[in-house]
Amino acid sequence: MVDTRPFLPVSSHAGSDPTGPSENRRKPMKLQLSIFFVLLTVGFFAALLTSNNGSDNGFVKENEHGSLASPSSEKQLRPVSRGPAVGVSEKSNRLFAKDNENQLAYPWNNSMLSWQRTAFHFQPEKNWMNDPNGPLFYKGWYHFFYQYNPHAAVWGDIVWGHAVSKDLIHWLHLPLAMVADQWYDKNGVWTGSATILPDGKVVMLYTGSTTENVQVQNLAYPADHSDPLLINWVKYSGNPVLVPPPGILDKDFRDPTTAWLTSEGKWRITIGSKINKTGIALVYDTKDFINYELLDGVLHAVPGTGMWECVDFFPVSKTEENGLDTSVNGPSVKHVVKASLDDDRHDYYSIGTYHEKNGTWIPDEPKIDVGIGLRYDYGIYYAAKTFYDQNKNRRVLWGWIGESDSEAADMQKGWASVQSIPRTILFDKKTGTHLLQWPVEEIESLRLKSYEFNQVKVQAGSVVPLDVGPATQLDIIAEFEIDKEALEKTTGSNVTFSCSSSGGTIERGALGPFGLLVLADDSLSEQTPVYFYIAKGSDGKLKTFFCNDQSRSSVASDVNKRIYGNLVPVLEGEKLSLRVLVDHSIVESFAQGGRTVITSRVYPTKAIYGAAKLFLFNNATEASVSASLRIWQMNSAFIRPYPNNKESQ
Amino acid sequence: MTKIISLFILEAVFCFTFFTVSYSDINLIQTTCKKTPFYDLCVLTLKSDPRSSTADVSGLARIVADSVKAKAIATLNQISALLNSVKDPTLEKALEGCIVSYNTIIQADIPVAIDAIEKNNPKFAVQSATDAGNEAQACENSFAEKPSNSPIFSGNKAVHDLSVVLQSIASLLL
Repeated sequence: MVDTRPFLPVSSHAGSDPTGPSENRRKPMKLQLSIFFVLLTVGFFAALLTSNNGSDNGFVKENEHGSLASPSSEKQLRPVSRGPAVGVSEKSNRLFAKDNENQLAYPWNNSMLSWQRTAFHFQPEKNWMNDPNGPLFYKGWYHFFYQYNPHAAVWGDIVWGHAVSKDLIHWLHLPLAMVADQWYDKNGVWTGSATILPDGKVVMLYTGSTTENVQVQNLAYPADHSDPLLINWVKYSGNPVLVPPPGILDKDFRDPTTAWLTSEGKWRITIGSKINKTGIALVYDTKDFINYELLDGVLHAVPGTGMWECVDFFPVSKTEENGLDTSVNGPSVKHVVKASLDDDRHDYYSIGTYHEKNGTWIPDEPKIDVGIGLRYDYGIYYAAKTFYDQNKNRRVLWGWIGESDSEAADMQKGWASVQSIPRTILFDKKTGTHLLQWPVEEIESLRLKSYEFNQVKVQAGSVVPLDVGPATQLDIIAEFEIDKEALEKTTGSNVTFSCSSSGGTIERGALGPFGLLVLADDSLSEQTPVYFYIAKGSDGKLKTFFCNDQSRSSVASDVNKRIYGNLVPVLEGEKLSLRVLVDHSIVESFAQGGRTVITSRVYPTKAIYGAAKLFLFNNATEASVSASLRIWQMNSAFIRPYPNNKESQ
Repeated sequence: MTKIISLFILEAVFCFTFFTVSYSDINLIQTTCKKTPFYDLCVLTLKSDPRSSTADVSGLARIVADSVKAKAIATLNQISALLNSVKDPTLEKALEGCIVSYNTIIQADIPVAIDAIEKNNPKFAVQSATDAGNEAQACENSFAEKPSNSPIFSGNKAVHDLSVVLQSIASLLL
């Protein structure tokens, strides 16, 4: 029983007054007391009611979490499957394997783990890497910087790593370019981009996370412009040059782009951000990279896409087969806006028109706007960034490829992440909606022995081994022709197909799947299919899908088993074409000249070293295919530290 | 009369403040936990930590991260104890694998998640939390006697489910 009296003016009974006045005082006191009790009771019931509201296991978001919300009678621990609406990181919740007997937990020994290191993809000697930073060509060297943790094989303590190369393939490691030694980047020397000024000098803009965890933009430049290796960097004494503007949160302001010139002779940059759940790109003009003016409005915004990380903005030629300097504009030029979506860890791009006067950009096809349309890559690929290579007049794309194994394995092997092979980017004149990505031609310098196969017939439901010797470092170019009769005769259906929701290569259709099995062992107990699947609609129209199926890539149970891929436009008269780079634990696949690209990480336990083989396969039910291929063994790129003695160049 | 009225107002304000303050804390916990697949576990974990009464979503994520770590340490101790007396080689192998998993959770996954939340780069917290859940899952999977549970099932389940809660809350920070 609550004693409410202390709050009320107590009239002392030992007091003086006779009944009259105390009678008067007692009535209001009773009133007070009863009001107080009423309020107390109401409050009590309100609390009861609200706590009852939440006791059901309903949840608000679109994600469908499976049977894991388990009553105590659940015997088995089941992982949660992540619905398509929710962002999925490289590490996805593991699904119970369809075939439990074949699953091994902890199969990893040092032999398997050391095999995973790539031979010709960029990676530091050890530890964690993420976003590519400030790529550029300067005084005869290609420079590559990257987010790096010098201490562990997991994200943290991020600084800028640095490497140089003459040909974008053979890299030499240099000392760290920038570390977290200022208050404005103490909590992270994050992503940034380089701009080459007309006089040839370089400026770097990058995001720092301050001691208060505020995201700011900082200016840095080479300590010695005559050093072709650009080893030492100086941070501008007046940093930061940009802080989050009004209306933008401290945590939503990062990854400044390369600058381009406006018709007024100013430099313009864009920085990704968000307002609530609308992803946006802010625009700033500057004359000196020190003082900036924020433009009204934004370059572009797309609701529902969340934070835009690593925004990239660049021109592509509608007519020429070369790249364009970032400042180029004109009637035969389209502009690409690209964003890395924080919400789903994918890179999206869209082609459109840049309106220089007010610093805005409009997509050609709003249905495939930034964040809701095309992706650079349908596998593991994030934080990509392009640069204009003035050496060879091309636009080159870098992309971060994370791991899809367990962090326990990463810790054991001592490293995590690689970069994709740099790709040239061109506007796809034939579709007008896509970009074409293709590994830089310098990679061909790694080609060793080649094997040619002409018109190999692969019947429906069969597998053909391709004898190419060791099959862990390969460059494969293939063309497929499908039996025309089967194409015409097959009845179409309304059923929609998607790589990720399909059953992988065990799901047989009339006209697919068919393609290659890479990193497969003789018994095919481990295999990574890279393949086409043709679906015929009820209107008779054909749709071609390009997929990469990880579900049987390894008997280990602690690696991703997803199926990646997307539609690939195949135009009248085009053969189905494929290029695949196999480099140990990474497979990069390009369909139709790079119209649709898939990068995946593969961690076999058996299909490694000499046991890894290559096969053609056709698991369609009706159509046979014939394949012509050229396959090269690939040499290592011998990526190593820059030699100390001056003689060895 | 005015005295009565002012006293009445005072009481009303007092009651109102008392209940709305605690109501809104509970409210943030509830709305946050509704967005995870383990509502009851989430609420219980948060409410039993005094920091939750003044925490924002970031703070709630931190509390869950700390709880995952605590549960993981407890389970690791259980595993070590079992290893001391194990005779069966298959069981021993599974337990040793679990040591690796739990060390990863404690030394890598949770510290990275906490760091990422603090530094406002939540996608790395989502990734690490997902991995922590997977590590617990891998440990549970490695015991041969299916469909019955491993000797450390309750630890594995607790760590797994809490990791999923952490993953969900960290996703809200994206």
